[in-house]
Amino acid sequence: MPYEEVRVRVPIGLRILSVAALGAFLLGWELVVRLDVVPSTMLASPSQVMGLFAIKLTDPQPDGAVLHVHIWTSIQEAFTGYFLSLLVGIPLGLLMGWFVVAEGLFRPVFELIRPIPPIAWIPLTIFWFGIGLAGKVFIIWVAGLVPCVINSYVGVKMTNPTLIQMARTYGASDWQIFIKICVPSALPMVFGALQISLAYCWTNLVGAELLAADTGLGYLITMGRRLARPDLVILGMLMVGLTGAVIGVMIDYVERRLLAGIRR
Amino acid sequence: MAKIVCDRVSKEFIQKGKIRVHVLEEISLEVKENEFLVILGPGQSGKSTLLRIIAGLETPTSGSVFIDGKPVDGPHPSRGLVFQSYMLFAWKTVMGNVEMGPKLRGLPKKERREIAQHYINLVGLKGFEKYYPHQLSGGMKQRVGIARAYANNPDIMLLDEPFGQLDAQTRYFMEKETVRIWEAEKRTVVFVTNNIDEAVYLADRIVTLKGKLPGRMGPTFVVDLPRPREHTDQAFLELRQEIIDSTELVL
Amino acid sequence: MVTIANEIKVEVKERGQFRPLKLLKNRWFLYALSLAGFIYLWHWTAERRVFGGGLPLPWDVLVQLGKLTVDPLAGKNLFEHTWASTRRILIGFAIGSSIAVPLGLFMALNKYANAIVKPIFDLLKPMPPIAWISISILWFGIEETPKVFIIVIGTVVPCLLNAYNGVRLVEPQLYDVVKMLGGTRKDEIIQVCFPAAFPAIFAGLQISLSIAWTCVIAAELVAARSGLGFVTLQGMTLSRPAMTVAGMIAIAVAAWLTTLLVSGLERIVCPWKRGLENV
Repeated sequence: MPYEEVRVRVPIGLRILSVAALGAFLLGWELVVRLDVVPSTMLASPSQVMGLFAIKLTDPQPDGAVLHVHIWTSIQEAFTGYFLSLLVGIPLGLLMGWFVVAEGLFRPVFELIRPIPPIAWIPLTIFWFGIGLAGKVFIIWVAGLVPCVINSYVGVKMTNPTLIQMARTYGASDWQIFIKICVPSALPMVFGALQISLAYCWTNLVGAELLAADTGLGYLITMGRRLARPDLVILGMLMVGLTGAVIGVMIDYVERRLLAGIRR
Repeated sequence: MAKIVCDRVSKEFIQKGKIRVHVLEEISLEVKENEFLVILGPGQSGKSTLLRIIAGLETPTSGSVFIDGKPVDGPHPSRGLVFQSYMLFAWKTVMGNVEMGPKLRGLPKKERREIAQHYINLVGLKGFEKYYPHQLSGGMKQRVGIARAYANNPDIMLLDEPFGQLDAQTRYFMEKETVRIWEAEKRTVVFVTNNIDEAVYLADRIVTLKGKLPGRMGPTFVVDLPRPREHTDQAFLELRQEIIDSTELVL
Repeated sequence: MVTIANEIKVEVKERGQFRPLKLLKNRWFLYALSLAGFIYLWHWTAERRVFGGGLPLPWDVLVQLGKLTVDPLAGKNLFEHTWASTRRILIGFAIGSSIAVPLGLFMALNKYANAIVKPIFDLLKPMPPIAWISISILWFGIEETPKVFIIVIGTVVPCLLNAYNGVRLVEPQLYDVVKMLGGTRKDEIIQVCFPAAFPAIFAGLQISLSIAWTCVIAAELVAARSGLGFVTLQGMTLSRPAMTVAGMIAIAVAAWLTTLLVSGLERIVCPWKRGLENV
């Protein structure tokens, strides 16, 4: 065996520097509020935010619901829109990548819709659906659609032409080539879409809720502003970030299990 | 006095943070001035590492390398290196790539353009000065690599399996070109390859490495055949057979 | 036509027979058909009041677009609103990228900078820029500053990330080339690191740009008196869906134009780049 395992020391100095930097940042933040450098109507210190976090776990004031109700509402909306966008976007993108007819029919509309930021649809959806779940899900759906379609499309376009030619020599029909070669070959790109689409969905969910909601993390943030409670705002922001990160990690885990054999 | 002296060079790496890999074991060799030396060995026998140590990009774990009697202290423009995967600057044209060496040494524009043009002509790429690497074929890219290394006027040229990524036809062609360029402007050359035919075609002397991880010195062969050589020549084939018999190299 | 040594490409165009069935599969014909069908479907749905009056007729939208260019809305016509939004984006984008790109490059090159900045960046990264709207209004009021601030926040994350990764993904042997040619560390950075990272930086700029548009529209929907987001919101406030859709179309066009601008810039700065067919 030509290999021999060796223990190598990780540079401790850099780790300490990172921790120290983070600590200094939090400390600075805390002091800025404590020493009234910034008035407490504008910024809340980390300790205040943590305190509020503990309170909000059980107290529905001042925004009308307990913390996990808000989180759950946001997650529900996000995932509904997300799964719908996967359901529509991925098959659409795959078909568009292979069948000229599909691309010809759907691409112009797609290219028209694509540059419009999903948030810009909000006034229109309020016309259509009012301030309810449907409107928000619609926006999230539009947001998640774009990366799904693009990634699936590119995934199919990147299929190895040699494989296609080989299938043709066996007499495979267009549809068979699509199902048996293009789709499996596009899977890595499709899985990439899962992550990107989720990030877009989550971002736009917050936007949708900022404007038209009565529960959810975005609503929490807006409420905090209306009541001049920066600790509420910051708590909402951190929860948004944290939840988004956690979901991302979970999706990554699922993806790794499912794609265990395929080299990315 | 030999130009390059390797004295019992050994090298170990630590890969992926945990695994100690022993790449070279006690390599000792000498290269004379303006000699064309080929280092021949199977894959993973540490040939590239040896070349990088001579270049000064890696330091040996034990043993030392002397050039002109002085120990090697790091990379230096007096040694030119041609890489296996071209390593051209994608954002510069052919001219931009070749003139990079003189540019880094601070030569004025007119002078370095002249030098670069001379070497571009030498490798046979006249007319392609304004092309970007992505517009060139593999053989052309490697010629740019050679011109770029030559343009710095090094005493020693080090080539690391430069034709490994080319198809057979282009490879034969490039071997001929290499001999032509070398005979036009003689330098000390250390050329690494795993291809016996290439080694016998090009070398004044062949040093073989054998074994994988670590690679060790194998027998040395002197190639006395007159140039230009023929792959089908009797003496050529005999020498080739001799090398095959004495090493584990399979065609 | 590029000629490569020993290979010359010659293009021969063949005119096939004209077959009506072929026409059905022709891409451009289908595009035209699709657009026409889309507009017709839109018109039909709007007429039947499927969305209860919430969907305006295409013709109404066109009329509205025309009106907006002539009749000022809240003191500005369409072009002025477009410029209001675009101006915010350009300022925020410029500030954000001129902070983020050098910082990202520096972090990738200097391990101390990396150790200090990265943990704080990782903490702030998962928060969507839109979530910052409320707090920035608390801090800066409702004038221009909070909007530009959000755009800066939104721009920083992708630009920094791409600059950082752009440097980290540079082929390490390229640095060896410079070393062998006699270059110093400074040469390595200027001659290799920066140019090699440009394509990634531009990709980051493109992403930042689309995020910037989302941010500016969101900020304008919350609190503004000018801009294209404001226009769409006014459409809702005044119960004029045609105005809303007109605003959305204007946003799409403006966003598309800014994307072209960055692409054009990229083509000038990175003439060697040859990527996937434009998707």
